[in-house]
Amino acid sequence: MITFDNVTKRYPGSHEALTNVSFTINQGELVYVTGHSGAGKSTLLKLMAAIERPTTGTVLINNQNVSKLKSGTLPYVRRKFGLVFQDHKLLYDRNCYHNVALPLSINGITGQDAGKRIRAALDKVRLLDKEKAMPITLSGGEQQRLAIARAVVSRPSILIADEPTGNLDKVYAADILQLFNAFQQVGVTVIIATHDALGNSQNEHVSSKILHLNQGRLVKAEVAV
Amino acid sequence: MKSWLTQHSQALKLVLSRFKANLLNTLFICLAIGVTLALPSIMYTVLSSLSGLANNVKSESQISVFLSADQAVDTATAIKAALEKNAEVKSFKFVAKEDALKQLETATANNNVLSSLEQNPLPDAFFITPKNLDAASIESLKNDLAKLEGIEEVVVDGAWIKRLNYLILIGQKAMVIITSLLGFALVAVIGNTIRMQILTQQAEIEVSQLIGATKSFIRRPFLYLGALYGLIGGLFALFITYAVISVFNQSLNTLSREYQTDFSINLPDITSGSVVCLLSLVVGLVSAYFAVSKSLFKNIN
Repeated sequence: MITFDNVTKRYPGSHEALTNVSFTINQGELVYVTGHSGAGKSTLLKLMAAIERPTTGTVLINNQNVSKLKSGTLPYVRRKFGLVFQDHKLLYDRNCYHNVALPLSINGITGQDAGKRIRAALDKVRLLDKEKAMPITLSGGEQQRLAIARAVVSRPSILIADEPTGNLDKVYAADILQLFNAFQQVGVTVIIATHDALGNSQNEHVSSKILHLNQGRLVKAEVAV
Repeated sequence: MKSWLTQHSQALKLVLSRFKANLLNTLFICLAIGVTLALPSIMYTVLSSLSGLANNVKSESQISVFLSADQAVDTATAIKAALEKNAEVKSFKFVAKEDALKQLETATANNNVLSSLEQNPLPDAFFITPKNLDAASIESLKNDLAKLEGIEEVVVDGAWIKRLNYLILIGQKAMVIITSLLGFALVAVIGNTIRMQILTQQAEIEVSQLIGATKSFIRRPFLYLGALYGLIGGLFALFITYAVISVFNQSLNTLSREYQTDFSINLPDITSGSVVCLLSLVVGLVSAYFAVSKSLFKNIN
């Protein structure tokens, strides 16, 4: 589903953020990307989501080479992903309902069909009663859940989350991870970046793959059961 | 086709809802555009009315040739023959001095003055309609006629028309210059407004791009915004033009009645009205396009 082959990413005027990274992620896997801050986790996720292109090496998403795609087709590749950003990137000028509506309107889905999907997504993250609330009035955990609702509303086959539990306390963090596990169980590929070396809040029943990064290099790729 | 329609109606709806949310701001921007456009539009209307007037009078333009008071009858016959030969002369009419005096008597009520005259002060005259009405050929015809024997004076009736035409020409040049300068101002105003709008929606634009919005999806509402600013501004400009010209026409009517004529400035008709709206719409669209291309995608691959 996602294949990295000798991928190096260098930002102009700085060192290599990723060096010679190779791995494969299959359909329906739960993948943790771990490592200290600055190890290249965010860069890795951006490359996976076709937000950045590799400097060298190839990134294949559903057998499409991202480097070879025209920039006009990249947006369509990005739509396959549900993204949860480190800083949520919620829009504070509109209520929860309209925040979740954004990906659908980008896909050209409006009206009743959109309404049903938005409420279903809000229901899944238990925010249905807050659809009219403004994001600023939500707690940190609720904002994170809203961001997840926005990521899943267009039913992506891959869900990517960057530090989704970063600034949440343990109870909330476990709650969020539970949500991701639920998505993985219905066949969604879930990729989560986290800086705590495999949080104790991780669900033990679920088999997962771990990609551990250190200073831009993939030092460990293992399957934990 | 259906998705294309959905995309456009979606963008238009979005823009209209933003208009409603910032009604006062939107009105002020459109008013600024309207005022900017009203000036050239008023100038154009006034100038086209004036040149219509000038053309009207020009077609009746004549050259009057007055003969010297004391000359033999055959001088007039000789001139008549010369005029018939001249290719530049379309038609001419001879008015003998006796006839001219009679015409004057019927035209003026005050017969006492005329009858008190010892002799007829009027000369014999030819009234010539030239074939070509442009200034150069009239001038050369005038020179030719002046060379003929027994002619006292050649008067071109249209001299003031010529001056009016030059004035209109100057006015038109001024209009073109003012229009293009104001056009640039308009591009700057609309472009700046759109840029401000882009700034306030920076977060939305960023997120949209990250989750797969195409460039045209992001650009579209801003293009609609620019076009709508232009269109509404154009309507404001028409309204202002109507109001200003109506106000002036009242005074112009009173004035022209004093001169026994009936002159007023034509109000813009449907064609010129739609041209103003269409032009301002296009200006809005183009400036929005430039603003968007310049500031929207500079940091995206």
